[in-house]
Amino acid sequence: MTNILRRRGRALAGLAVGTAAMVALAGCTTTTPETSESGSAAPTGGTISVAQTNAATALNSGTPDANLNTNGMVDYLMGAGTGPGSFFYVDNEFNVVPDETNGTVELVSEDPLVVRYTLDPEAVWSDGTPMTTTDMLLAWAIGSGYYDDATYAEDGTVAEGNVYFQLAGSTAGLDTTEFPEIDEEARTLTLTYGEPYVDWNLVNLINKPAHVFAEHAGFGSVEELHTFLEETPAGDPENPGEPNEQLSALAELWNTGYNITSMPEDEGLLVAAGMWVPKDFQADDGGFISFEPNPEWRGEMQPSFDELIIRFIGDPNAQITALQNGEVHVIEPQPSADTIASIEAFGGTLIQGSQLSYDHLDLTFNSEVFSDPAVREAFLLTVPRQQILESIVTPVQPDAEVLNSQQFVTNQPQYEEAVAANGYSDFAEPDIERARELLDGATPTVSILYNTENPNRVDAFQLIQASASEAGFNVEDAGSPDWSSLLGSGDYDASIFGWISPGVGYASLPQIWQTNGGGNYNGYSNPEVDALADESQVTIGDEERLTEIMIEIDRLTREDFYGLPLFQVPGLVATNGAVEGVEYNGGQTGAIWNTWEWTLVG
Amino acid sequence: MLSFIVRRILASILTLLVASFIMYVLTAYSDNPLKDLQASNAPNAQLLIGQRIERLDLDVPPPLRWFGWLAGAAGCLTPFTPCDLGTDLNYTPVTQLLPNAAASTVRLVAASTILAIIFGIITGIVSALRQYSAFDLGMTFVSFFLYSLPSFLAAVLLKEFVALGFNNWLSSGDSSIGLIPTLIIALVIGVIMQALVAGSNRKRLITFAIAAAATVGMLYYLDAVDWFQQPGLGAVGLLLLIGGIVFGATAIMAGLNNRRALIGAAIAGVLSYASYFALQGLFDISTVWTIGILGLATLAVCFVVGWILGGNDRGQVIRVTMVVGLLSSLLVVADRYLQAWPAYISSPRINNRPIATVGEQTVGLSGDMWIMGLDTFTHFLLPTISLTLISFAGYTRYARAGLLEVMNQDYIRTARAKGLSERVVITRHAFRNMLIPITTIVAADIGVLLGGALITERVFAISGMGALFAVSLDRVDVNPVMGYFLVIAITAILFNFLADLSYALLDPRVRVK
Repeated sequence: MTNILRRRGRALAGLAVGTAAMVALAGCTTTTPETSESGSAAPTGGTISVAQTNAATALNSGTPDANLNTNGMVDYLMGAGTGPGSFFYVDNEFNVVPDETNGTVELVSEDPLVVRYTLDPEAVWSDGTPMTTTDMLLAWAIGSGYYDDATYAEDGTVAEGNVYFQLAGSTAGLDTTEFPEIDEEARTLTLTYGEPYVDWNLVNLINKPAHVFAEHAGFGSVEELHTFLEETPAGDPENPGEPNEQLSALAELWNTGYNITSMPEDEGLLVAAGMWVPKDFQADDGGFISFEPNPEWRGEMQPSFDELIIRFIGDPNAQITALQNGEVHVIEPQPSADTIASIEAFGGTLIQGSQLSYDHLDLTFNSEVFSDPAVREAFLLTVPRQQILESIVTPVQPDAEVLNSQQFVTNQPQYEEAVAANGYSDFAEPDIERARELLDGATPTVSILYNTENPNRVDAFQLIQASASEAGFNVEDAGSPDWSSLLGSGDYDASIFGWISPGVGYASLPQIWQTNGGGNYNGYSNPEVDALADESQVTIGDEERLTEIMIEIDRLTREDFYGLPLFQVPGLVATNGAVEGVEYNGGQTGAIWNTWEWTLVG
Repeated sequence: MLSFIVRRILASILTLLVASFIMYVLTAYSDNPLKDLQASNAPNAQLLIGQRIERLDLDVPPPLRWFGWLAGAAGCLTPFTPCDLGTDLNYTPVTQLLPNAAASTVRLVAASTILAIIFGIITGIVSALRQYSAFDLGMTFVSFFLYSLPSFLAAVLLKEFVALGFNNWLSSGDSSIGLIPTLIIALVIGVIMQALVAGSNRKRLITFAIAAAATVGMLYYLDAVDWFQQPGLGAVGLLLLIGGIVFGATAIMAGLNNRRALIGAAIAGVLSYASYFALQGLFDISTVWTIGILGLATLAVCFVVGWILGGNDRGQVIRVTMVVGLLSSLLVVADRYLQAWPAYISSPRINNRPIATVGEQTVGLSGDMWIMGLDTFTHFLLPTISLTLISFAGYTRYARAGLLEVMNQDYIRTARAKGLSERVVITRHAFRNMLIPITTIVAADIGVLLGGALITERVFAISGMGALFAVSLDRVDVNPVMGYFLVIAITAILFNFLADLSYALLDPRVRVK
C-alpha cells in the first residue's frame, strides 16, 4: 500500500515537474520568429559609421562633467546649443554660419547691445512639439546664471549661496543681460546686455526642450514653467537665500539628467532640434551612439543616409583595422607616422589637417634673467623652430609649417594676413651669431618648465637646450610631470606647453594677454595690449576691426619678445573610400560637422 | 569547518582593509588630479577646479580621505544602508561603472579561461604520456613560444590574418580553399596525428597517410558544398560526430568493456540525434532560456537513463551518459547556429565580413537568438583566441609537470602491479592528484583575469575592468580605482578560499580544519 502510494506520489511529482517544465518552455519562446534584418528590411539609404577615440557619456555637453568632445558632437548632431537646427553652427573654417530652419538672430542695436531671437512659426522639436519662446527663455536662464546667488572663494569653491545650472563654459556675457523681453505673438525673445559683449553672436538660445524640463521638474505645462521663470526673482549674491526647489529640480535634469551609461528609457531626453536623433547607445570603449534622422526635420540640408553611428574605439590601431575591415567608414585617430603608414598601406583615403591645439614657448617676464628684452630676444633667436617641427610634426604631416601667429591658427582665413603683419616669421631659423652679439659674452641661466611625460615637449626642450647653449645660454631642465600646477608659480624662466585656440569667439582674448589675466602665467604686461584687449571686448559686429586688433596684439607680443608659437598639433581623418564628402575639421566637432554632405559610394 | 571559515573571513577583511588603505593613498599621491583643469585656458577653469575640489574632497589629505571612502564602502556590505563608492571625475557613481565593466570582462575572459584550462590540461597530459616524443618537444616549443608572445602582437596578427584575411576571402566571391593550402593543412594534420599516436615507423606512416587523406577528403568536401557560405553539420555529419562522442567518451571515462556505460552513452547519443529532427521547429522560436531549459531537461533525462542502467557502478554510468548527452546536444545546437550563418553574413550590416575586430556587437543588427549569438561569437572570437593562446601555455606546462610527478609515485606503480588497465591508472589514480596544484593556479588566475586583460581589452575596444583601472589611474581618479580594487581583491580572496575547499574534495587526505 505504502509502496503504491509512494509510486503514485513519485509519478505525480514527475508529472508536475514535467508540466512545469513545459509551461516554462512555452513561456520562454518568442511568439513569432523574428526575421533577420536581411529578410525584412528593404534596402535603405544606408548606414555610416564613424570611429571616435573618446566615448560619449552624456546627451548634453554643456555641463563641466560632460564637457568632452564626443558629447559635443552629440550636441551638434542634435542641434543643442550648436549645430544645424539651433540658431547657427561653426564650419571647418571657423565661420559662424546661421541656420534658419528654426529661427533667426538679429542685432538690433550696438549700444546698448540688443539682440533679437525669432523662432520660425513652424519650428518644431523632433517629438512633434512646437518650439516656443519658453525654449529660448530656458536656454537663457541656464546660460546666464540669472537665478544663482553664490559667492566664490579665492580657490573657486562656492563660499555661500546656490549655483543651479552647472556650466562647462561661463556665464560671461549673458550675466549682464536683463530678464529678456518676450513677444509670444511674434515669437521673439529680445536680450538687452548691460555691457557690450563681443561674442554675442555665439549665444545660442535653442538648446534643450522646455517641455521636457517642465515635465521632469513637475510643472503642469510649458506655460507654467514660463510663468515660474518670469516670476522667480534674480539671485542676489549679497543675500543668498534658501535653495529654490523648483529651480533645483530643473537644474538636476540639466546637470546630471542627461548623463547616460545605457540607452535612456526616458524618450524626453532624446528630443532634438537638429537633423539627427539618438537611436541607440552603449557606453564606454567599444560602445557606440547611433542616430536616426529627425522625422520632423524641415531644414534645407538633408542627410542622404538613414543611420549615423559613432563608434568609440580608443586604440588608434584598432580604429585602422576596423576601417580596413569595413566595421567603420570614417576614423579620426590621433595621428602618428605609423598610423599614416598603415592607412596608406591598405589604400585608405587620408584627409589631413591641423588641430586647434598648438605648442608654444613663453618667456617669464617677471623672472630675473628675462626682464632684459635683449636677453629675451637673444633666447628667442636660438629657438630652432623648423627643427622642432621637423622632428615632431613633419613625419606625420609632411606639408606642415611652423606656426607663425599667437592669435590665429592655420585653419583660419585670417592667418595669412596675420603672418604678413606680425613678424613672427623672422624667427624661422635660429640666428646664433646675432644671439651671441646680443648677449655680449654673458651666460645667463634659463630654466624651462615643460611636461616630462609628453615626448613632444621633451623633444622640443632638448632641441632648444642644445641650440641655446651654442649661444652661451645655460639651459636648466625644470620639467616636471606635475607641470600644470607649477604654471604661474614663478619658479621657472620659460615654459613650453599647449593652448587650444577657441577657433571662434574673442571672449578669451584678455585671459592670456591682459595684465594679470587668468591664463597669463608669465607676467606679461603691455598697456597697449591691455587697451586693445579691452577694446576687443566691446567691439560689436565688426569682424574686421577684431581681426585688426588681434593682428596688432600679435605684432606687439612679437616686439616684446613674449615667446614663440612652435607648431600646431597635426590631425587626421581617414575613410576607406565608402563615404564621400568628408572634410577635415580641426574644431571640437571634428569630421561629423557636415554629415548632410556625406554620401555612401556604391 | 565553521571556525575555519570564520577565521578565514576575519583574516580576509583585515587584509582588505590594510590593502585598501595602501592602494588609496598610493593612487591619490600618484599624480595631480587637477592637471587637466590647471592646464586649461577655459574662461571658468578656476571655477571648475573649485568644483572638483569640493566634490571629491581634494582639500583633505588622502590618508584622511580614505576614512570617508571606507564609510561609504562599508555601506555596501550591510543591507539597508546606501552603497556609496564615491564618484569618478565626471561625477558618475562608481557603483554604476563597475557592473558594466565587470560584465564585459567576464564575457571576455570566461570562455578563454575555460578553453585554456581544458586544452591546456589535455595537451599537458598527452605531452606527459608521450614524454620526450616529437609531440612533447613540439608542444614544449609551441607553449613557450605562445607564453612569450606579447598579447598586443597576438591580437594584431589575429586581426590581420583571421579577421581581415578570412573576411576578404569570404567576401571575395570565390571562397574555396584551393589546392596548395589543402595540401599544407593535410600535411600538418598528418604530422601532428602521427606524433600523437606514436609507435613503430610503420604505424606512424599509416596514421600519417590516413590522417592526411581524411583531411584532404574533408576539405575537398567542404569546398564542394560551399561549406563556408552555407555551413551546417547535417544529418550525416551529426551522426558521425555523435557516434564519435559516444565511443570516445565511453572509452576514456569507463572503458569500452563497460557495456552498461556504452549502452547508456548510446541511448543519450540516439536521443540527442532524435532531438535534432524533433526540435528544429522549436529552435526557430527559441530564446536563450528555451535552450537552457532544454539543456537541463537533457541532463535530467540522461541522469534517469544512467540511473536505470546503472548496475554496480551507477555513478560512473550516470556520468558517462550525462557527458555524452550534453556534448551531443551541444552539437545539435551548434548545427542550428551554423544554419543561421548564411542569413547572418548576408545582412547588410555584416556585408559578408563576419569576423569583427572591435567591440562586443554589431551596431543596429537585429534578429533571433541565433543571429545575435553568431554576432557575439564573431566579436568575441579574436579576443578569446588571443587570451586562450597566452594562458593555455601555462596550463600545459603545469599539467605536464604535475602528471609526470604523479606518474612516478609509488601508488601508481602499485596500481599497475594490481593489473589495472593504463586508462584506469591514469583517469582514476593519476588525474585527480595531478589536479591539486592546477586548482591553486586556476584560483589565482581567476582573480587576475577579473582584473581585466588590459591590453587585449584596449586592442579589441572592450571596456572591461582593465580599461576602467587604466583610465582612472591615468586621471588620478581614486574612486573608480578603489572600486576596481574591491572587486578583484574580493574575487581573489574568494577563489583562494574555494581552492582550499576543493583540495579537500580532490584529496581525501586533506581535511579542512
